[in-house]
Amino acid sequence: MQALQNVSFQCKKGEVKALVGENGAGKSTLMKILAGVYQPDEGEIILRREKVQFDNPHDAQKCGISIIYQERSLLPYLGVAENMFLGREPRKRLGFIDSFTLYREAQKLLDKLKIEIDLTTPVYNLSLAQQQMIEIAKALSLNAELMIMDEPSAALTTQELDRLFQIIHSLKDHGVTVIYISHRIQEIFHIADAVTVLKDGKVVSTSSVEEINEEILIRQMVGRDMEGRFPSKSEVEKKKGLSVVGLSCQEVLHDINLEVRKGEIVGLAGLVGSGRTELARAIFGVRCPDKGAIHLNGRKIKVKSPRDAINNGIGLVTEDRKKEGLVLGLSVKKNITLPSLDRLSKMGLVSEKGEKRRVKKIIQELDIRTPSMDRQVEYLSGGNQQKVSLAKWLVTESNVIIFDEPTRGIDVGAKFEIYNLILDLARRGKAILMISSELPEILGMSDRIVVMREGKIVGELLSEDATEEKIMSLATGLIKNS
Amino acid sequence: MKLKEKKFSLDKLIRMGRGRETVAIYSLLIALIVVSSLISPDFRTPRNGVNILRQAVLLGIVSIGQTLVILTGGLDLSVGSIISLGACLASGIMLGRAELILPVVLLVLMVGTVIGMGNGLIVTRLKVPPFIATLGMMSIVQGSLLLYTKRAIGWVPTTFLFFADGQIGPVPFPVLFYVLLFLTFFVFLKKTTFGRYIYATGGGEEIARLSGIRTRFVVFITYALSGFLAALSGLFLASRLAMGDPLGGQGYELNSIATVLVGGTSLAGGRGGLMGTLAGVLIMTVVGNILNLMGVPGFWQWIVKGLIIIGAVSVYRRID
Repeated sequence: MQALQNVSFQCKKGEVKALVGENGAGKSTLMKILAGVYQPDEGEIILRREKVQFDNPHDAQKCGISIIYQERSLLPYLGVAENMFLGREPRKRLGFIDSFTLYREAQKLLDKLKIEIDLTTPVYNLSLAQQQMIEIAKALSLNAELMIMDEPSAALTTQELDRLFQIIHSLKDHGVTVIYISHRIQEIFHIADAVTVLKDGKVVSTSSVEEINEEILIRQMVGRDMEGRFPSKSEVEKKKGLSVVGLSCQEVLHDINLEVRKGEIVGLAGLVGSGRTELARAIFGVRCPDKGAIHLNGRKIKVKSPRDAINNGIGLVTEDRKKEGLVLGLSVKKNITLPSLDRLSKMGLVSEKGEKRRVKKIIQELDIRTPSMDRQVEYLSGGNQQKVSLAKWLVTESNVIIFDEPTRGIDVGAKFEIYNLILDLARRGKAILMISSELPEILGMSDRIVVMREGKIVGELLSEDATEEKIMSLATGLIKNS
Repeated sequence: MKLKEKKFSLDKLIRMGRGRETVAIYSLLIALIVVSSLISPDFRTPRNGVNILRQAVLLGIVSIGQTLVILTGGLDLSVGSIISLGACLASGIMLGRAELILPVVLLVLMVGTVIGMGNGLIVTRLKVPPFIATLGMMSIVQGSLLLYTKRAIGWVPTTFLFFADGQIGPVPFPVLFYVLLFLTFFVFLKKTTFGRYIYATGGGEEIARLSGIRTRFVVFITYALSGFLAALSGLFLASRLAMGDPLGGQGYELNSIATVLVGGTSLAGGRGGLMGTLAGVLIMTVVGNILNLMGVPGFWQWIVKGLIIIGAVSVYRRID
């Protein structure tokens, strides 16, 4: 699949250009091409009427293009000024650092952007918003003329956001062009001059903010045809399964009430950072909630660790298979039976026959393609690895299965197989909670869709009534409730 | 038919996880023995063979514990000091009285286990990295021991000498003892759920925890076992020397780690096992033996062992 197809994109000098689109629309890819991280197969980049070619980020930097990533890239134990001039410190003779010049230059930059932070503060003492400001100042010191900000608002509070907008304004005053990537539609009308919508790797439209409104923008971001990409669902009687009552967790989850009945697939939608994964982890006992309760089959259960969750029949297919899902160096068999090994053993000795029989059956059932059950999982394809992750919980006979981005990094054919497996589990009476950032997936699979924003549940939609527009409106906070 | 057989054996190798490493390390061991036999007539006598096995036991016992700890992704630097402590406690309390053998043996094993449990708690509860936790423990144990005695201490009853020097028919007792101990731990690691959890914890602690494994408990137990086995080695040392030397165990912490790594276990945890460690123990012992027989000065042995460690691990990195 191509991440980008025939994309044309222009910016005027000194303009703030917004770039919007769903997850996976190709925004980040486009920006990484501009910043020299990726190279395009076709097409060209023209800067100040001259064709340029970037073989690496350094080339782009020399031409005055800087990118401010979502992940912070400052060294925590160094001071602000040292961070800003890392690797290009002003020097005296004999190679000693010229601290005087270093601090003077750093102060000049902060003054230019009206940022008030003590230059000697170590970065770990700064808030995320302050770190972001330092990164912007650093980019400016590289003589950036085009600054790309990848979701700069994702982690900011409202006041911090105002501050960021002020900084962007002063950048404009200094003639810097800004490309502003965001999920939050409203922001765009505050800060941008023009906006380009990307969808499925193509440009849908480019308009100035005066000639467009929020509704049109959302429709352009999501509207698409999606018949026949998902297996059909069937109706089953739905008894009480998992319910979450008044769950709160520090700053990330606020008063969550959620029910997933047996045989039901509940889709959990929301933007990245809205608290979906945190909710899954709280239900699974990875992080302890401060308040609230979890009920299973109408009975209150205590979940203080993943072990408790597993013993109560809850399974979690994690988002990041490599870090949280599978022990890559262990075999398919050993991975599959990891959570259920106690049950497959007597007096602490693994019953190898029983284990093999169980694994063989599940490999056939899920059609896991592997030369042998003793093959290490690192050699399996993404789709088959995901099946192994799922197999763990089937062998454990979990009744509630939480999927966190079940089809991430999986090719299209395998996706359909995973969808079928999930639906089959629901038909067999398992309660399924599915987190996904792919709206068509959420719409195509779920019986009910719950939308989260900023750690709260902001709306619930039945699959018949749900549309991508409605979900996006809830997720971005355009509509307060449904 | 022949083709099928070949396929089967390849599959079996893959199934052994780090099959290629095991093949490599045993090839090295065999090559070492063949070359040594060719260049030294003294080496190839049966008596020398038995001698080598006898010499291998002490390093062999500590290295079992070290393997368990390294498999979980840790390491144990305190084993050398526990060996010294065990030896001194044993001979210092027994003072030749045969009736004290059983209670003193139990005491020493308990002390070693408790020190190991201390390591385990420091690593899992205080979250001190294993290197620092066990380095600190080594210093504490060694310091306490030197407060107790600065020179060789006590003597053990003659019966106790059987542990290191005894003979059952043609077989030396320590060798027989080691074979049984090794098999016990081999089965423990390969066939029990706990053994599986050790590999899973070392392969990915978070993943293991999300699979319902009490990873902190697993890590804790491996340190306790390492302490227990180090104390057992201390008893063996006391039996071999007939007394306790407060510096007798010095060097075994690094030697055991080196042995485990030469055996193909990964310092990052999760990969390797006792079969490799056994080869590592034999290689280290054979190298020492042949260089001794050829009259090569002791410091050369250090150099040769150093080269073997670096060489073996660089080969493993390449096969991986």
